[in-house]
Parts: sequence; C-alpha cells; structure tokens
Amino acid sequence: MPRPLEEQKVIQSAVKEKDELIVDGMDISGHWNRMFGQRVIFDYSVEYLEKVAALDGGESLGWCYGCAKCTGVCPIDIVGDYSPRKIHRRTQTGVDLFTSEDLWLCTTCMNCLRVCPKEVDMIQIMPAVRERAVLDGSVPDELQKAFEDTAKFGNPLGQPQRKRAAWAKNAEVPVPIMACLNGDGPADVLWYVGSYPSYHPRGIDASLAAARIFNALGVNFAILGKEEKDDGDTQRLAGETGLFEMLAEHNIEVFNKYEWGTLVVTGPHEYNAFNNEYSKLGFERPVLHYTQFLAERLHDLKPLLKESVEARVTFHDPCYLGRHNGEYDAPRELLRAIPGLELVEMGRCRENGYCCGGGGGGMWLDSFTQDHTRMRLSERRVREAVEYEADILAVCCPFEVSRFEDAAKSTGNDQLKVLDILELLDHSMQGGKR
Amino acid sequence: MAAESVLIVGGGPAGLEAARLLADIGTPVTLVEKRAELGGMPIAERYAALTHGFRDAESMINNMVGAVSASPLVDVRLGASVVEAEGEAGAFRVTVAKEGNGAGEVVEAGAVILATGFQHFDPGRETQTYGYYEYPDVITLSDAEGMLKDDVFLKANGDKPERVAFIQCVGSRDRQIGNEYCSKVCCGISSKLAIEVRERLPDTKCFIFYIDMRMYGFWENEIYWPAQEKHHVQYVKGIVTEVIKKGERLLIRGEDTTMGRPVEVPMDIVVLAVGMEPSRGTRDLAKVFGVKQNQYRFIEVPHDALDPVATSVPGVFVAGAAAGPKDLDDTMGMAGAAAIKAAAWIRKVVTAA
Repeated sequence: MPRPLEEQKVIQSAVKEKDELIVDGMDISGHWNRMFGQRVIFDYSVEYLEKVAALDGGESLGWCYGCAKCTGVCPIDIVGDYSPRKIHRRTQTGVDLFTSEDLWLCTTCMNCLRVCPKEVDMIQIMPAVRERAVLDGSVPDELQKAFEDTAKFGNPLGQPQRKRAAWAKNAEVPVPIMACLNGDGPADVLWYVGSYPSYHPRGIDASLAAARIFNALGVNFAILGKEEKDDGDTQRLAGETGLFEMLAEHNIEVFNKYEWGTLVVTGPHEYNAFNNEYSKLGFERPVLHYTQFLAERLHDLKPLLKESVEARVTFHDPCYLGRHNGEYDAPRELLRAIPGLELVEMGRCRENGYCCGGGGGGMWLDSFTQDHTRMRLSERRVREAVEYEADILAVCCPFEVSRFEDAAKSTGNDQLKVLDILELLDHSMQGGKR
Repeated sequence: MAAESVLIVGGGPAGLEAARLLADIGTPVTLVEKRAELGGMPIAERYAALTHGFRDAESMINNMVGAVSASPLVDVRLGASVVEAEGEAGAFRVTVAKEGNGAGEVVEAGAVILATGFQHFDPGRETQTYGYYEYPDVITLSDAEGMLKDDVFLKANGDKPERVAFIQCVGSRDRQIGNEYCSKVCCGISSKLAIEVRERLPDTKCFIFYIDMRMYGFWENEIYWPAQEKHHVQYVKGIVTEVIKKGERLLIRGEDTTMGRPVEVPMDIVVLAVGMEPSRGTRDLAKVFGVKQNQYRFIEVPHDALDPVATSVPGVFVAGAAAGPKDLDDTMGMAGAAAIKAAAWIRKVVTAA
C-alpha cells in the first residue's frame, strides 16, 4: 500500500535553505518545514504511556482526564507550550516522553498537583522518567555537567570541596565549624549552609548576613565546612537518583557524627530534602528553614532591627518552602518585622506562587529552556514584581537571587533589587554600617 | 366496580420489580409480556455484566424472574399484548391478546403500570457513516454485550483485535436524527465493556472517542476512573466522523480535539455506543391508554421532577425507560414508586366503594 501523502519523506539535504528569508516584509527564516509539521495523527501508540505507567512513580500520568486545570497554573505554559495535560495527550498520541524535550521543562513546582482532581503527580512522574533517560544517556549537556560536577566536587557549581567554608572568612563574626569545636560542643544549631550560599557570590552575601544575625542573637551554632556536600535532591528530581543516594548517605553520616539540637538550612530545597527524602533513608531529626528558625525568635530579633528599610517589597514564595512544605507565613513575619518596609503581595503568591524556574534541574538547564520557551520563568516573575511597583523582590531560596537579578537585567528592570530576607534583616540590623 | 389488581405491561427489570413489590404487599398483578420469556432487554439482548456493579446480567435478572414467576399473586401472560383499553382509574378494562390469537381476553385492573422500555438506536439511521450494515467489525454496544457474554470478542474473521474503538453518542444528542437527548447510560456501558475487553484480552488496546464523558454520580469512580487508571482504556475527546474500510482493518477518521489535529487511525473493531429510543411497545401502548408522549415519543411525565412515574392519565403510571433514557438504578426506583402509587390508587378507590 502506498504511504499516505503526509508521511512521504522529503530528502532534507535536497532542500536549499536561506539563512534569512524575508517575503513581503515578513521574516520566514528558519527550517523550511517548521510551518508544515505533520498534521494527521496516523497512529495512537500507547506504548510510551504504558512505558511511563510501568515506572515506579510514573503510573499517574495515565490518570489524566483532560480537565486542563494544570495548564491554567503551569508556569511553563505561560512562556511555552507545556503542561501535564499536554504531556499526557502527547504521550497518548505516541510521543516518546523519554526522548522528548518536554521531559526537561518541568521545574517540579507542584502547582499542577495542587489543583489536579485526579492527582496526576508530576513530582513523581518526572524524576521516574528522567531517571530512565539519564540511564540511557539522553540528558541535555549542561545538566549532565551539573551532575558530573556534583559527583566530582560535592556541589553543582564545580567548586573545590575543601573551600566550602571559605566564604566564612569575610564574616567578621565567628562561624564555628563542627569538626573544630573540640570541647566547645555540642552545638544547639547545626547550620547546613548549602552549595549556592557557600560558593555563589550572591549566595555568600546571604550567608554572611545569616552569620551576623545568628551571632547577634547569640545562637550557639556550627557549620560542617568541607564535610558538607550538596543535598542532591534537585539532582534526584532531575533524574540522578544514584547521585542523590550517594550524597544523602554522606550527609546523613556527617550529621550523625556530631551532637546538635536543630538542623537549620538556608535553602528550601535542602529543607525538603532533609524533611521528606532523607527521612526515607532513616534520617529523622528536626529540620527548620532559616525563616522558621528566625520567626520563632522574633521576640529577640525585633529589638535588633533598628534601622528602617524604606522600600516597597514583594516576596516570592519558593516552591519548595510554600507548596511543597506549606510554609507561607514565616518569611512574611520576618519581612513585616523590618521597620519601614512595606510588604505588597503579587497576584501570584502563596499557594499559587509563580516559579523562578530553578527547581527540578531548571537551575542547570538555562540554555535548554531558553531554546524551548519564549522567556525565562524568572523574567516573567520579575516583570510581575515590577507590575506591582516593588522596589525590592525579597527571596529566601538560594537559587533565586542570581536568577532574578539576571532576569531584572535582561528585562531592563535594573531598578528592581533582589535581596534575600537574610540580607534585608542584616540591613535593618546594621543600618548605615553596610 | 373497582378492580383490586394492577396491570403491568412489560416484563423487563421495571415490570418485574413493580410486580414483585406489589405481590409483597398483597396486591394481585397481571403481568403482560410480549416476548416469550421474562427479563426484558438484559435477557433478550444477552447483556454480559450489569452497569453498574459488574454482576452477571443473566443470573441477576433471572433471580427477579424467579421471584415473580413463583408468586401466586402474579398472573404472568407471556407472548401477549395489550390491544385495547377502556375505563378509568379504579376500573380499567384491558384487552390482552395472545400472539397470533386475535380474540383477546378482557382483564380488569384498578391501576396500570407501563414498563414497556426502550429499543437501541438503529445505527443504519446515523448521520455519520459508520458502516454498521457494511462492515462486520462495526458493531453496537448490545452486539458487544452478546460477544462478551459468549466470552469470544474477536473480529468477524476470527482474529484477535489489536485495537477497539468505541464511538459515543451514536443516535443521541443529534438534532438531525431527532434525538436531542443524552441516552445517559452509554458512556458507562462503553467504559464497562472496555474494561471487560481489557480483562479478557490484555493486549488489546481500547479507545473511547467522546464528546463529553457523562459518568454521573458513582459511575465516575466506579467505572470511569478504574477504566482509565487500572485498565488503561484510552479516552480521546472528539467524535469519529466516519469509518472507512482499509484492507482488513477499519480506518477511523475524525479530529483529536485537544491536539487540534485530524485523526486517521486503523482499528480492528468499532463499537457504536447506540443510544435509547422508545420501544415499539412504548409507542403503541401510549396510544392504547391515551397517555401523552413527548416529542421523542417516550411517555411524557407531566411533573417529572417530583413525580417521575405519573402520566397524563390518572391511574396509569410509567416505570423505567418507557419514560426516557434510564439506567437500572433509576428504573428500580421508578418501579418501586409506581408500585406504591398504583396500590394506593386501588385502596383509595376500593375504600371509597
């Protein structure tokens, strides 16, 4: 039987393409076939849907009944053509999710699951399918590099492990390291600093602020220094389960080596990792995000916040502190405690907060995402902050400071400052000194 | 002179249930059934499992038949039709004629319950071209029920089907055909059949093409969700417009509406989810008793929301799909309501006399 017209192949090499083609003033440069993609669905191969459903964690993709509530809240769909419903339908029509670019766009922000009546769980599906893609070696290069750097250096930034506590030299206050406590232990607080707050210049700014705040509050704390490694949870969500397990095993061993009361983390991803994932591996100790830790100490903190921060501030809820773990109030309590600061909420806040684009591996897929979306999620979010006439976009996730600062620049909104809540507290504490 | 018995026309689920209940409260019943056996559509059309509940249709319905047949208060007339009726509530005189015997016998009844049911839409009347009478592998829901009852769900040539497509709303929700109503049960029955196919033939893929899935109440979580989640039945929004023979297979053509793309996919068996229309008996008996019919010729229920079993004639009640598309749950409920209302009429009249 002759093949249907639509299926008949054109020899690609026989097609001459011009780099630039403008017809009647309309730029139609690009691949000759981009406007004439396959129209007719010739087959419903449910092979890939079954393959996803067979994975541990992948079964719920097939539960979608197409209501599209997810599409309405999916941060990616606003800048691209993507949502769990669309993934289900594409897979149902025979698109191979394991090799599709769709696989790498999800930031696991969880807004879809929040509204999904069928509990189609992309937070389980994505890591499950990605794990298989990782095993098959089908991973975008930049993500692969982050995996390799994490494996090699213990952090995705590719920085030397032994310099993990180097930032503390500029703290001007004591930042004790567990291994060096000698007879001074045990520490009340084990502060897990995290990779970006240890190495990224803007992350370090927040760490320095935290060190000063902890000291001012008289907190008996210590960090792990070079014994600390990346929590690995974002790598797990991006498909590197093996790497996650390796890091978790290491970190749990180090946590258990010392005596301490509470584990305080700088980042929401680490908060999620230690509370929800490490607990599956037997680590069950109290963990607090720094905003929770400080909000509990507002009584002591408030008198220290002497200097007024006269600014209109809006707050971006981190997906992994808010939706994933239900903490919306602690960051706001801290912001409200700062004298002079006017807190304004963006339309998308709290449960429906937008995503910065960094979660689920997005942090290491910037160029890839750029190729498949109209703008970065961070750029979309920065525009929203500007729309609400904020002077400062306050954050409390180490992924976000650099993402939003870059986005403020790239969208021409340089006037918008991006500051971690730690930095804002520190400003109020230090006043003109800093 | 008031008659103490109730005449029930139709020996399907509605008529059987009403007869059983009336006998239970001591009211004599004459049950007239046109077919040679009781049980109605589930038996005559050889349904496999009941929707909902998945219980075996034959044994469940036969339990009802057994209870009625065994009751000394129920006078069952098989192979018989009501050809004439006169009188009024409390004193109907109804002529019951045996098949092929013109004379007939007059039966007195204080009240009447019409339980004459529905017939399946004839897919030869469709506005689309599904080829029911051309292609042996284009079948209806009731054909599929019979095949599953025989535990042989194969193509006409004996091959195992790789893919089965269900096309919803055939003969329903269609202004051109004249059936603007939803037949109410077909979404559930297609999904139930798809589950049964998947259970018997795990390698066979089932696709349900729909306009809206109408799985009201618990059908949603008892049928629709398990069909999709446990049995991996694939639901595709957008109705197939035509079926074309292509080699040994059937090419379905339509639009995949959520993808916004045309569909041309080969299938092995196409099941048409034919809807409900008033049965011949319903149409004829409405005339015999002078009860009003709606524009679709189902028996009209004047105050349907709060009195779903009354007709335009006092003392004549309706139960089941004679009044419009009904599932079994609705049918059983109506049968109970019709039975008690018929009994109440008789007592009122008898007491007054």
